[in-house]
Amino acid sequence: MPIRNKPVDAVIVGFGWTGAIMAIELAEAGLEVLALERGDDAHTVPDWAYPKVVDEIAQSARNGLLQNLAKTTVTLRHSKDEVAVPYRQMGSFKPGQGVGGAGIHWSGVHSRVMPEELRLKSHVTERYGRKFIPAEMQLQDWGIDYDELEPHFDRFEQVCGTSGKAGNIKGVKHEGGNPFEAPRSNEYPLPPLTDPPTSRLFAKACVDLGYKPYPLPASNASRPYTNPYGCQLGPCNFCGFCSDYGCINYSKASPQTTILPALYRKPNFTLRTNAHVLRVNRDASGKQATGVTYIDAEGREVEQPAGIVVLAAFHLHNVRLMLSSKIGTPYDPVSGEGTVGRNFCYQLINSVNLFFDPDVMVNQFMGAGGVGQAIEEFNADNFDHGPLGFIGGGVIWGRQTGNGPVRGIPVPAGTPLWGSGWKKAVKENYLHSGRIESQLSNMAYRGCYLDLDPTYKDAYGEPLLRMTLNWQENDLLMSEYVGAKLMEIGHAMGAKSISGRLLKRGSSWDSRAYQSTHINGGTAMGSDPKTSVVNKYLQSWDVPNLFILGANVFAHGIGYNPTGLVGGLAYWAAANLRSRYLRNPGPMVPA
Amino acid sequence: MKRLIGVVILLGAAAVGAIAVTARGVPPLPSVEQVSARIADLEHGRYVATLGDCASCHTAPGGPAFAGGRALATPIGTVYSTNITPDRDTGIGGYDFAEFLRLMRHGVAPGGRWIYPAMPFTAYAKMSDDDLFDLFAYLQREVDPVRRLNQPPAIAWPLSWRAPLALWTKSFHHAQPFEDDPAQDAEWNRGAYLVQGPAHCGTCHTPRNWAMAESEEPGQFLSGTAFNGGSPINLRGNQGDGLARWSEQDVVDLLRTGRNAHSAVSGDMVEVVAASTQYFSDDDLRAIARYVKSLSPADEAGRGQFAASQASLDRIMQGKEQSSGGRIFMDSCAACHRLGGGGAALAFPGLAGNASVLSKDPSSLIAVILAGTSLPSTAKAPSPLAMPGFAWRYDDEEVAALATYLRSSWGNQASAVTASQVAKVRRHRQ
Amino acid sequence: MTGNGDVPDRSRRDFLKQAAGAAVAAPLPPPHPTEQNYKPSFFSAAEWAFLNAACARLIPEDELGPGAVQAGVPQFIDRQMSTPWADGGIWYMQGPFIAAKPEFGYQSALTPKQTYRIGIKAIDALCQAANGKPFAALQPAQQDEMLKQIEAGTLTSPEISLKNFFALILKNTQEGFFGDPAYGGNKDMVGWKLIGHPGVRADYLEWVGEAKPYPYGPVSLYGKRG
Repeated sequence: MPIRNKPVDAVIVGFGWTGAIMAIELAEAGLEVLALERGDDAHTVPDWAYPKVVDEIAQSARNGLLQNLAKTTVTLRHSKDEVAVPYRQMGSFKPGQGVGGAGIHWSGVHSRVMPEELRLKSHVTERYGRKFIPAEMQLQDWGIDYDELEPHFDRFEQVCGTSGKAGNIKGVKHEGGNPFEAPRSNEYPLPPLTDPPTSRLFAKACVDLGYKPYPLPASNASRPYTNPYGCQLGPCNFCGFCSDYGCINYSKASPQTTILPALYRKPNFTLRTNAHVLRVNRDASGKQATGVTYIDAEGREVEQPAGIVVLAAFHLHNVRLMLSSKIGTPYDPVSGEGTVGRNFCYQLINSVNLFFDPDVMVNQFMGAGGVGQAIEEFNADNFDHGPLGFIGGGVIWGRQTGNGPVRGIPVPAGTPLWGSGWKKAVKENYLHSGRIESQLSNMAYRGCYLDLDPTYKDAYGEPLLRMTLNWQENDLLMSEYVGAKLMEIGHAMGAKSISGRLLKRGSSWDSRAYQSTHINGGTAMGSDPKTSVVNKYLQSWDVPNLFILGANVFAHGIGYNPTGLVGGLAYWAAANLRSRYLRNPGPMVPA
Repeated sequence: MKRLIGVVILLGAAAVGAIAVTARGVPPLPSVEQVSARIADLEHGRYVATLGDCASCHTAPGGPAFAGGRALATPIGTVYSTNITPDRDTGIGGYDFAEFLRLMRHGVAPGGRWIYPAMPFTAYAKMSDDDLFDLFAYLQREVDPVRRLNQPPAIAWPLSWRAPLALWTKSFHHAQPFEDDPAQDAEWNRGAYLVQGPAHCGTCHTPRNWAMAESEEPGQFLSGTAFNGGSPINLRGNQGDGLARWSEQDVVDLLRTGRNAHSAVSGDMVEVVAASTQYFSDDDLRAIARYVKSLSPADEAGRGQFAASQASLDRIMQGKEQSSGGRIFMDSCAACHRLGGGGAALAFPGLAGNASVLSKDPSSLIAVILAGTSLPSTAKAPSPLAMPGFAWRYDDEEVAALATYLRSSWGNQASAVTASQVAKVRRHRQ
Repeated sequence: MTGNGDVPDRSRRDFLKQAAGAAVAAPLPPPHPTEQNYKPSFFSAAEWAFLNAACARLIPEDELGPGAVQAGVPQFIDRQMSTPWADGGIWYMQGPFIAAKPEFGYQSALTPKQTYRIGIKAIDALCQAANGKPFAALQPAQQDEMLKQIEAGTLTSPEISLKNFFALILKNTQEGFFGDPAYGGNKDMVGWKLIGHPGVRADYLEWVGEAKPYPYGPVSLYGKRG
């Protein structure tokens, strides 16, 4: 017989960014809150202590901070006509683990969303006509608008100490910021980080080409900072070990640096680690969640009753939990019916390495995850798509995130990959090369979705989540167009040669090389229960006391990195849970 | 060595004087009629316990509050804090107020047993009758009784002989409550009362004489010393190793949060902030700051000095830093404390002009380099920002070189540190 | 406590016991800098000879300085064979194993340990058949030729994907050449010095705004400076 714990007001499944946000907001409202995290606890000291953590073998080569795929992974295929195979080695995306989750090893790029992306279907229809949307593309409005989210974007940036320069404060344009920015209520809490060499070269080339570069907003603090919770950040020192690594000096925003010190002081909050949630439980009617069942550190099954259940794990696990718990109807790509697993999206990244003359110092070992200069002339609907024939766009940036030789030293195309020729090339290029990229939206398609794999299982004997995804013509056309702009900038930066990958028509999604961990969709938010899993408040249509956070609520892909939107949505959901749901439990939107 | 000689002399003198002392006996129970007419203010008693930080010493790690059992290192061996819960058999449940007052004022427990000054009755003696009355009431009525036998001290004979204690106490202890200085205002006097009395700052921060009693030489109160493996800083108005460059608000900030614009707590002081000073009222912290900032500089001889200089940073930026200490600094410290030694406001203490770095005795500095430290999480500043230790990375010579570099860079001028000083601290920590 | 007969699923409990040891971040690696007279604990004498020969071609000693062998890379690789990674501990290794498109990456049941054992054996067998001697006994130019063919996929073996094996040994060789010296390779930080990488100094706030040469050499985890 499973152990049954005492009930709590709210149980939060997963304890990364969204779990920490919801936990502190509900604890401040006086609820008895329990967070269940299947991994271990982690703290800046000792777990990311300098210099122990900046060990490329431990972290980058052996994925020390990432999810152990031997425990749980996903299966992959390009289309439903293929047999999916397991994602056996870390590649394309890097799920985290433990308290803090991906919030530990992310880079720190912290953007919002373009207003039209939240109602892209309507917007495209209005501007380009209904027929402009390809048949297989499943665009849908998100059921929320930018103005409703704005205060919550602002809040999350205040919590993170985001470093940046505003381009539009309350409708007033500000020189030096993003000229396409939607209106913000406030300036960024911290000024932009110092531009490293790649970013300066990029910005100059962009200006020469007539673009308007601006500093990429970064949740790597440019100054010492105290956030609204009283939590403190130190200044980023450009150590060059951001992505894959925990921050050595409290300068990258993470749950640990920005929320947990304040949250852990609250007597009505409890964290239980090594608690792997298997499913959300419901009452006989199926319309009320009664709590969750989890496996504890000793392998015992435990039932945790709760008045409210919040899914706050990483994207993959939230979707899988919905499927394993049999909540909502799984999406069927053939009939187009069902919602759980629908509209699985990712992001397209074109990444090119620039090789400069030996008198140009780039020093790629220096860098910060979020620092850079960017242009938005090709993001969202900032440009006329009519003659181009595709939907979507993204950001072109010149970042300098830091690098080390174990992570891989880019060499010019045609260089041998081993031997004396390789040795010469790495010596000549390591200090004189940089990277620029275009990150592009991935639209939602009928055939790109998530479900449970029929064959492969995780270490607990549960079916793995199956990803069916490939790049479609629309997105590849977009990639060719923006990719050409990217190359133009690279040449204008003075690169004597350029190597790298540009996705074009005919390219398939390749899971081997790391791209980004920006997988999204699967439990879409929306105003129509037929095409969404949660309403605009991120409340389950099916189970009113179940809330789902994370990038899995995206209705389709966006141009920006997802964390700013994920955090903003979490603050929005928490605020409404407190102000509306707690006063009047039940569906917050009539179905 | 000095300490050992002191102990031997003390014992010798004690052997001679002990009989006479014992014959004279313990102080009588004080009269408590007047104060006992008071209605005890239990909330105030709880606050007084916080001022005195009773719980920290009288609670074993992980143990029940006030039930004793925490080991306290003294120069003659280890003593264990006693059970001050109201348990009748093993705690103070059987005390009456007069007995409690005599203990706090005179250092004598019921039954005539002289207590070790590891329990700082030398400071608590200054507390008013009213404060002690409320404190006693709080301990008796608000604290949960816990049955826990007191552990006898681990002190070898003949040092365990208590008679010399009596002599020591009679020789060096002033069993009088604090008296206001009529030349100062109420706030200053409140600050003096708190610092000298319940907060017992002098217990750690005042140098001790040959008999291990706090020095009463002019200008030595709170002037910094080596103590318990660390070096509590000079709190007087010296420009280099003291608080001359701190404002009163800086003092308040440090006691409220463990960190301020100039420095941050480490070692034993972390617990003091976490368990005690962070909870003092605004008025009390301001009073303490007022009093501390009024203290004149101690004698400058041998003390660290500071005159800000760019030279160290310039040297590094020109690619010229080749000293072992300087390179170690670049490899292990600058990531937080910055190449210019300025730290990051309120997050990472600056090292340039830092009173702890400049302290005459470098033990605290060495201890922090070896073992790291963590700021307390406080209600006002919840982040327990931590520094990792580097004992695993560097040997004694290297740590000495680093400490010397810190004490001689950015305008810091303090004595060099030796490998044997490092070895001593490393041993103490084991 | 769970009830009478309700023992958790065996695979789950076993997995949990195995995973329990995994801390959040890898702890500091024990210091094992490159040794003079290293005796491999995983590789046999013949395998060790192959490994040294292959590493010497992948990153040769030349006019630019020491190569993989001088840097202790074979020691690094041998030491890595004692880590969970070597038994596939951080890969998903449940079956069934089926062939898939290259875009979906590694789909073999072979762990790194097995890949080395079988791969070395297969290459030496091919070598023996073609030249009458093992790989280690060939001339460097012949070794290079063979590696190029393996890399290109024109020289194959029915025993194992030689391309996979080549990718693994190349990656491990670069890891060993550039990883922290505590792991056994990158002796005296020669790899870092070759390219001008400052190792684990990881502190560049005062430098990042200037596009100038960084004037200091590398430092390793254990504080050694190069």
